[in-house]
Amino acid sequence: MKRSTTIAVGVVTAAALALAGCGGGDDAAAPADGPVTLTLAGWSLSTTPEFQTLADAYHEVDPDVTIEVQEYDATNYDTQMTTDLAAGTAPDLYVQKNLKNFYTYQSGAQLADLSEVASTYDDSTAGLDFYAVDDGTYAIPYRQDAWYVYYNKDLFAQAGVPEPTGEWTWDDYAQTALDLQAGLDAAGSDAHGAYQHTWQSTVQGFALAQTPGADLASGDYSYMEPYYERSLRLQDEGAQVGFGTATTSSLTYQTEFGTQQAAMMPMGSWYVATLLAQQESGEADEFSWGIAPAPQYDDSTFDAPVTFADPTGIGLNPAVDDAKRAAAEDFLAFVGGEEAALALAEIGITPAYTSDAVTEAFFGLEGVPTDDLSRFTFAESEARPENPVSVSTTVVQNILGEAHTEIMSESSPVDPVLEEAGSRVESEAPTS
Amino acid sequence: MAGRSSATSLEEQGAEQGGRAVTTPLPEAAPSPGPQPRRGPRRRATTVGRAVGYVVLAVAAAAVLLPFFWMVTSSLKENNQVFTVPIQWVPETFRWQNYVEIFQRSDLLTWVKNTLLLSVAVTTLQVLTGSFAAYGFSRVRFPGRDALFLLYVATIAVPWQAYMIPQFIMLSDVGLSDTLWAIIALQTFSAFGVFLMKQFYDTIPEELSEAARIDGMSEYGIWRKIMLPLSVPAIATLVLLTFVNTWNDYLGPLIYLRSPDLWTIQLGLKTFVSQYNADYALIMTGSVLSVLPIAVIFMLGQRYFVEGIATSGMKG
Amino acid sequence: MTTETATRGRRRGRVALRRSVTGWSFILPNFLGFGLLTLVPVVALFYIAFTSWNAFGTAPFVGLDNFRRLVGDGSFHVALLNTLYYSALHIPLTLGLALGLAVLLNTKLRGVAFFRTAAFFPYITSIVAIAAVWNMLYSPEVGPINQVLTSIGVDDPPGWTTSAQWSMPAVIVVGVWREMGYYMILFLAGLQTIPRELYEAARVDGASAWQRFRNVTLPGLRPTTFFVVVILTIGSLKVFDLILVLTDGGPGRSTLVLSQYIFQKGFEEYQFGYASAISIVLFLLCVLVTVVQFVINRRRDA
Repeated sequence: MKRSTTIAVGVVTAAALALAGCGGGDDAAAPADGPVTLTLAGWSLSTTPEFQTLADAYHEVDPDVTIEVQEYDATNYDTQMTTDLAAGTAPDLYVQKNLKNFYTYQSGAQLADLSEVASTYDDSTAGLDFYAVDDGTYAIPYRQDAWYVYYNKDLFAQAGVPEPTGEWTWDDYAQTALDLQAGLDAAGSDAHGAYQHTWQSTVQGFALAQTPGADLASGDYSYMEPYYERSLRLQDEGAQVGFGTATTSSLTYQTEFGTQQAAMMPMGSWYVATLLAQQESGEADEFSWGIAPAPQYDDSTFDAPVTFADPTGIGLNPAVDDAKRAAAEDFLAFVGGEEAALALAEIGITPAYTSDAVTEAFFGLEGVPTDDLSRFTFAESEARPENPVSVSTTVVQNILGEAHTEIMSESSPVDPVLEEAGSRVESEAPTS
Repeated sequence: MAGRSSATSLEEQGAEQGGRAVTTPLPEAAPSPGPQPRRGPRRRATTVGRAVGYVVLAVAAAAVLLPFFWMVTSSLKENNQVFTVPIQWVPETFRWQNYVEIFQRSDLLTWVKNTLLLSVAVTTLQVLTGSFAAYGFSRVRFPGRDALFLLYVATIAVPWQAYMIPQFIMLSDVGLSDTLWAIIALQTFSAFGVFLMKQFYDTIPEELSEAARIDGMSEYGIWRKIMLPLSVPAIATLVLLTFVNTWNDYLGPLIYLRSPDLWTIQLGLKTFVSQYNADYALIMTGSVLSVLPIAVIFMLGQRYFVEGIATSGMKG
Repeated sequence: MTTETATRGRRRGRVALRRSVTGWSFILPNFLGFGLLTLVPVVALFYIAFTSWNAFGTAPFVGLDNFRRLVGDGSFHVALLNTLYYSALHIPLTLGLALGLAVLLNTKLRGVAFFRTAAFFPYITSIVAIAAVWNMLYSPEVGPINQVLTSIGVDDPPGWTTSAQWSMPAVIVVGVWREMGYYMILFLAGLQTIPRELYEAARVDGASAWQRFRNVTLPGLRPTTFFVVVILTIGSLKVFDLILVLTDGGPGRSTLVLSQYIFQKGFEEYQFGYASAISIVLFLLCVLVTVVQFVINRRRDA
């Protein structure tokens, strides 16, 4: 089969590469009934309980199927997965951490087509579309994060600044940050008005999701300019910790918000569970907080606030045998549905499946702010992908990541850096 | 408050040190000094010089140990106090339970056991095969020797990231992935050890081996009875560096060891990092515990660098 | 010498064979493992560089495409220049400091064990801690380095790791600081091979400390120095993890180095063919420098 193309220079070379292509298709088919054990790759299991939660919840539904979660490294998950897939030693099911690497796995034929499973879901499961390539669907989302603004009600009160209304443009956000800074300074607090983490997503993610007509692959990044100008202004006027200080001090957003160093902070929904746990353990201070929708590009989207985050999904290793495949597909028909969503919401994860019952489960968590704005934010935020699936996404994001550090460190002015990023994308990014 | 002031002095030392150590010691320290029993003033000068030397060394040591100091104090902090503005050199309250918690929350003992096993096995094999091969490169002249040696050294220059997948595929095919054997196999045959030992063998006078040869000793006998004993400092160096590198290796175990019961310390400590969070206090706790064994081994091993078992004694 | 060579000449054939067998018998135990585990994958890498392999499946042969692409790849040029910049400063500074430390600590002074251990500590301290502390020291606004600079009247102190202009010097300082103890160990071991009598003889001849260093220590250390220079050069050209944790190549591309670019192209962008081609350039660069050093070393020996 694939051999003919690989055999070339050096016997062992060819053998190694051919094995890369053909490896993995192991055991003969086992009988379909009886207990089945499937393996699922996850990361940092002791601090990331969602994989085991899904496995346990499914085991209750179908006691014949046991899902064994295998632990991978959180930061180098994709490096490990790549080597495993290349050598045919990967588990049966593996989590798609973000959409960047999804493209590679999909185009490298390392994900089985799950169209039939996908057809069992309806619109209540967000993010399915993002995994659709040509006529197939190659992963099932179980989790859909979204970026919100976390705010500290106590610090807002101390600064004498009105709390978010849920109808903020970015200019409102910036003005509030400045007001907060003035108010906090006057009140003798050394907290900052806002904290913006050092990641490129804190600027670029919003800009891409919200700006009409913005296209990551286009090579035109001028749409990011207003977003950068605002961030730079906030750091220049001292309303948020400067990028240089944040990187050199390795600041963590958990410390900045959790120990009340900043009155508000744009951050992903995963932080809800962390903040609850840290307040519980005493690592974070006790204070009253809430979540507000991401500030918007303009007032046209206040009803359904646009924000961003990639879905997290599970894909199927195409090398599994038929017996396992059937069980795995049943499991995948479960992870994006309501039962799984309820189990996930109970541990503070934002599930891909949304319904009133799921919202109730999430807000039933001890310590979650239950005010209307927080509920509205959770239920109505519309997350667009940070990494739209495309051949060029990873390369573009790497280039834009470099642009981000250059702009935020104020090594160069915004315009020329974005322009250079554009021309680099044109010359460096693959087109097919 | 006390913490603050001691911190400032340390910071300043850290800031100044980088450049200073370059210029001071070199010229006067060249020969091994040793006491020079001559006239009085001279001896007093030596004492003063020595005192100054100690001060310089102490300051330099403080600068060099600063990150380690921060690592230790961070291991006694709450996680959210590790990274702050301004820097907190000494925590307000010491959180000793980190050192209990790390054993409760993780399999540290398993990690230590695996790391120790790997380090000892790799070091032993590396020293044995490396010094053996080095003798061939240093003392036996045969056609193609230099080209082969150059090939050894050249492979050091190939970045591992670039060929680790083909290598992983090979080792997986023979069933070695996810076993400790994979790491032993990878680390043992590095060109580094061969190169290092060969360079040291090159300094041992040829006449010694010639004499032994005339006495009818075989090449293997010369290696074992003459070269090995004479290269103790080199072996000590190789043992130390191999041990440390295996102990601290991260990428190798990352790629090859998947089962939690095979993890090494460096790999295990990363379980305190999850996708969006990291428990830096426990990472620092683990790092401190991980450095200690190496420090002890170093303290014990470094005396082999002064014992001077080298050539001089044999010449007479 | 000449008569010896002549005698050898007569028995050349038989002796050469016997020597080959002996030589290989020494080398073989190591070479088996080395050849199988390192050489074979390296050969595979050389093949992959001529393909567009993406780690999965087939590896279509693309001839010299990857190498042609290198010529016009701006980021590759940046990474190459940065790597040379790093090496050009890191190598001599580390070499000088390591040698200085080794000579200074090659004594029987009381407490020398402590100082040697201290010098080696940067190499064994967790790299995360190193990055954290050095970055804090470098912090442009709140860092002690700039506080000192400001207090002594420097108006516009550098931004260190947060400035595209100063990030490379900042990284080099940390690189030197971290590795000097490592190479000090090698020099220390090398110093033990210098016969003590040579120093005594030089002292009797009235040689000054500097003369003894120039005429006894340095020549005696030559095999060690050669080893250190080769390993240090290759290590500098391949610098990776330190830069990754300190600046991650930034700000912008100001500290992007070849190894990091290889990792980026391979494991982040899955262009393993192209990543292999860059590796070959890096490899050739190292080999070129190494061969030059070999030649110089041999000329001195002769």
